[in-house]
Amino acid sequence: MDWIKVASAQELSNDESKTVDVAGYGVALYRIDDEFFATDSMCTHATALLSEGYVEDGCVECPLHQARFDIRTGKAMCAPATVDLRTHTVKREGDHIYVLSPAGK
Amino acid sequence: MTSRGIVIVGAGQSAAVAAHALREHGYSGRITMVGRERHRPYERPLLSKAVLVAAEAPRLDVLTDDAWTRSDVELLSGSEAVALDLQRQHVHLADGRILAYESCLIATGGEATTLACVPACRAGVHYIRTLDDAHRLRTALQAKPQVAVLGGGFLGLEVANSALSAGASVTVLERAPSLLDRFVPPQASEWIEAKLHAAGARLLLGASCSGVHSLPQGRLRLSTSTGDLEVDEVVIAIGLSPNDALARDAGLETAAGSGILVDASCRTSNAHVFACGDCTSQRRAGQAAPTRLESWQNANEQGRTAAAAMLGLPLPAPAVPWFWTDQGKHNIQMLGLPASDLEYVRRGSPANDKVLWIGHRDCVPVHGVAINAGADLRAVRPLFERGRRVRWDDFALDATNLRTWAKQMQADVATTT
Repeated sequence: MDWIKVASAQELSNDESKTVDVAGYGVALYRIDDEFFATDSMCTHATALLSEGYVEDGCVECPLHQARFDIRTGKAMCAPATVDLRTHTVKREGDHIYVLSPAGK
Repeated sequence: MTSRGIVIVGAGQSAAVAAHALREHGYSGRITMVGRERHRPYERPLLSKAVLVAAEAPRLDVLTDDAWTRSDVELLSGSEAVALDLQRQHVHLADGRILAYESCLIATGGEATTLACVPACRAGVHYIRTLDDAHRLRTALQAKPQVAVLGGGFLGLEVANSALSAGASVTVLERAPSLLDRFVPPQASEWIEAKLHAAGARLLLGASCSGVHSLPQGRLRLSTSTGDLEVDEVVIAIGLSPNDALARDAGLETAAGSGILVDASCRTSNAHVFACGDCTSQRRAGQAAPTRLESWQNANEQGRTAAAAMLGLPLPAPAVPWFWTDQGKHNIQMLGLPASDLEYVRRGSPANDKVLWIGHRDCVPVHGVAINAGADLRAVRPLFERGRRVRWDDFALDATNLRTWAKQMQADVATTT
């Protein structure tokens, strides 16, 4: 199990997202209600970074075609996406945010 | 004949979404879908992009296997409805079969508009409307041919970009003096033109084609207003003609130009017949004339609306029209509908390939155009939905966080009204 330190808490405000590098793998990190979550950064529908999308009500909308995913579960909520998004495990220690390396799963 | 149920004429995006929505609402009667093509309902946006050039065939089904199975649709593929008997509530198929309905949903979409001077089925001549059309062009593009695209609309430009990425040499002919000038501000039109040039296309504006002649070795000669042009393939993308003949012949009301006239609930002039998608012209709040929208979103929204209306359920809230096009690596989106009397404010710069224009009328947002700025356009969508005046002063400032600003403007609107 490899925990990778990816960010400090103040780098993101609520309903913001950024792409972080987790052992060479692009992961979208989100802050919702002061909790942190992570999913694959690439939309399952088209080539687009979800970290550049629109976060609201616990969901992220792809900037290209408005496919919407539940950030906590990765579930594809509406067309054009039909494939769920992979989620990643996140932990916070003080100010530091860690993501469990996908390779370590 | 079997028990009456819902008959859906057409088997595209809107038809599939409607069938799925009917089941989601708990409808347990029979759903029969009549489709001319021999495919399960599929999405068309990728026909002009990934289907033409991607190494791997993209997944196109409108519904997942699971959702399709749950929709429990009897699909009569390769079938065509030829007449609608409103009195008896019957749909007549070309093969003689008769389907009785309690409600009928017409979702017949449209055909690529044909160019009168080009005989149909000519080798090297392409229209892009069906998956089979796209596969045929894909095969032709593998030879890296010289291609002429007639029509510089969204579809024509997508095809041009795809052909360029496949290594073809591409000439685009557009009759108007500038690209997409009915839909986007002049600066956006110039940006699109510049990107097309940069990608290697030759662009002939103000040019029309009056004839296509076959030459030896399968080449084609186009007679155009700017001289002759010899190519291997010609793609005609000059618009969509809605398939409204079935409705028109049955005596249903159609719009002055084209399209089956429907109300906000997607009901036609007959109480038992509904229509959705590209084939409709809909009366909308705030629009003087009925509008026909050719978009993925409209197909989905109207499919859901028609399903609810057929079951007598409350209608989903009307959505602000939204459209996207992927031009090469660039994503362009539009929200609302264009109008000739709008004043545009701009955030970002075309030079940076990321820009958002909002067209407003007396400070009320009416039309948004985003180049690679979909999330920004999404952030201001609530302001369109509210339809009230907005203070645009800080919109363009770099220092403005657009999302926060949009929320403030919403609160503003709420307190001042």
